[in-house]
Amino acid sequence: MKIAAEQIALSYGKQQILKDVSVNAGKKEFVGIIGPNGSGKSTLLKCIYRVLKPDQGCIYLGKEELLHLPYRESAQKMAVVAQHNYYNFEFSVREVVLMGRTPHKKPLERDNAEDYRIVEEALKTVGMASFAERSFSTLSGGEQQRVILARALAQQTECLILDEPTNHLDITHQLQLLKLVKQLDVTVISAIHDLNMAAAFCDRLYALKEGKIVGNGTPEEVLTREFIRDIYQVETELVWDSRGRMHILFL
Amino acid sequence: MNREMQKGERSSVWKTSFFLLTGILLLVGLIFSILAAITFGNADISITEVYRVVLYELFGMERFAAYGEGAVHDVVWLIRFPRVILGVSVGMGLSVCGVVMQAIVKNPLADPYVLGISSGASLGATAAILFGFGTLFGTNSVGVMAFLGAMLTSFGVLFIANMGGRANAGKLILAGMAVSSVCSAFSSFLLYISNDKNGMAEVTYWTMGSLGGAKWENVAVILPVILLGTLFFWTQFRSLNLMLLGDEVSITLGTDLHKVRTWYMILASLMVGFAVYCAGMIGFVGLIIPHVIRMLFGTDHRRMIPLSAMLGAVFLVWADVICRSILKNAEMPIGIFVSLIGAPCFIYLMARKSYGFGGGRE
Repeated sequence: MKIAAEQIALSYGKQQILKDVSVNAGKKEFVGIIGPNGSGKSTLLKCIYRVLKPDQGCIYLGKEELLHLPYRESAQKMAVVAQHNYYNFEFSVREVVLMGRTPHKKPLERDNAEDYRIVEEALKTVGMASFAERSFSTLSGGEQQRVILARALAQQTECLILDEPTNHLDITHQLQLLKLVKQLDVTVISAIHDLNMAAAFCDRLYALKEGKIVGNGTPEEVLTREFIRDIYQVETELVWDSRGRMHILFL
Repeated sequence: MNREMQKGERSSVWKTSFFLLTGILLLVGLIFSILAAITFGNADISITEVYRVVLYELFGMERFAAYGEGAVHDVVWLIRFPRVILGVSVGMGLSVCGVVMQAIVKNPLADPYVLGISSGASLGATAAILFGFGTLFGTNSVGVMAFLGAMLTSFGVLFIANMGGRANAGKLILAGMAVSSVCSAFSSFLLYISNDKNGMAEVTYWTMGSLGGAKWENVAVILPVILLGTLFFWTQFRSLNLMLLGDEVSITLGTDLHKVRTWYMILASLMVGFAVYCAGMIGFVGLIIPHVIRMLFGTDHRRMIPLSAMLGAVFLVWADVICRSILKNAEMPIGIFVSLIGAPCFIYLMARKSYGFGGGRE
C-alpha cells in the first residue's frame, strides 16, 4: 500500500514547523527520513499517523484520503512504533501486544485463539516470547521498544510508521529490528537518526531541515559529503566495504 | 518455539481460570453477604424469622403468610433488606467509577469524586440543609440537591477542561481541583453566614455518609442504574485499557478517546450522583477496591470491572453491618468506618514492594 503526503504545512502558533513537505512511499518501499534534531521529522510522522492535523495538505493511504477514513480503518492499514511509551499502569507484555488487535475487533467482540496465536507469533518474532508474563513497566527501554514493535506486528498492517525505532537499542537489537522490518515486506516510513543505518536499510531517503525537504533519493544520491556538511555541519569521509556497502565516517 | 507458545497459553489459561474462580467465589460471597447481612441489627429477630419474611416476600410462599406484615416484617423487609441492597449498589457503583476515573485521568490516585463531584455534592447538601433549598423536591431534598451539585460540577469540569483545545487527563484533574475549591469555598461561606450550629452538625453528619436512608423506592432506581452502568463499562474494557496508554497511542490503535471519555465521565458522574443521593459521601471504597483488584489481577479492565464491582459490593455490605453492630443502640457513620479500615489497608498496599501503584516495580 502506498503512502503519500502532499504539501503538508503545520505551525505551532507563529512558528512554522513544516513547510510544504511532500513525502511518498511506494508499495513495500522502505523510506527513511533523516535530518537534525528539531527539523520536523516527528511532526511530519505525527501528521501521517493522525495525531496531528496538518494546516494544509493531504495525506493518502492507498487511494483514500486519510482525513475521511475512520480511525479504526486507518489503524487496520497502518501501525506505528513511536518514541515514548511510558505507561503509568502495569500491563503484562502479552496484554500490551494484545492491544494491537484492537482495530480488528468489533465493539463487543472477544479475543479469540487466533488473536492469541498472532500475539505469540509477534512476540516470538521480536524475541520477547519468554517475557510474555512480565510486567511491561519492569522491562528495559530496549525491551519495551521491541514489545511495542510486536504490538505493531500484531496489528497486521500493510504500512508501518517508525519514529526513531532504534533509540534505546543496543547494536545487536538495532540491526535485528531493522532487518526484521526490512523482511516484513510492508511499506515503511521511518525517522532515523543513524545515517549509517539509514544508508544500509532504506530504499530511499528524504532529508528534512528546518521543516523543508532539502534532499531526496537513494542513500548514495542523498548522503554525499557536501550534503552532510550542509545539513549537519560535520565533516565526513565515505568508504565502501568489501560487500560494496557505503559507510559514513565522521571526522 | 512451540514450547514457548504452550507455556504462554498455559499461563493465560491459568490466569483466566484464576479470574473465573475468583469471579464465581465473589458472586457466591456477594449472595451470601446479602443473606447474612440482613440477620444483623439492633432489633432482636431470630434468623429463621428473617428468612421466613424473605422467602414470603421473594417467592410468595403461602406457608409464611403470617410474616407478610407486622413489626418483624417491617424491620426485615422495609428497613434491613433495602439497606443491604443499597450497600451493594453503592459499593459496586463507587468501585466501578473508581476504576473508570483512574483510567480517564490516567492516575492511580483518582477516586470517583476526583472531578469535583464531592465538593459539588457537599455544596448542594449544605445549601439544602442550612437554607432549605430544594424543599420542593420532597422529603430527600438534601439528596436531590447533592445529586444536582454533583452533576453540575462534573459537567462544569468537563466544560472547563474542553476550553481552549481538547480535554486531556491533566486538564481534567486541574479543572476538577479548581472547581472543587470554588465549591468548598462556597460551602464554607454558607456555613459561616448561616451561623446555625445544628445545621453545621447536620452537614458534617451528612458528609460522613450513611446507608440508613434506604427505601425500596430509592433502591429501585439506583440498583438498575448501577448494574447497567457496570455492565456498560465492562463492555468498554478495550477503550478503558487504551486510556492508560494515552490518546496518541490510542489513535494509532484505531480509537479516538476524546468522544468516549466524555460519555464515560457523564455516565460515571450519574452513577456517583445517585450514590451520593442515596448515601451521602463514602470515601475510600472507590480508591482502594480498584487497587486491591489491580494488585491481584493486573490492570486489564476486562477483569478489573466485574471483580471490582463485586468486591466493592461485598466490602460495603460488611462495612455497614459492622457500623450497625459495633456501637450499642447507635450507629456509626459508614464513612468514618470505611476510612478507618481503608487507610491502613492502603498504607499496607503502599508498603508492599511488589505493587508499584503503576509507578513500576523497584
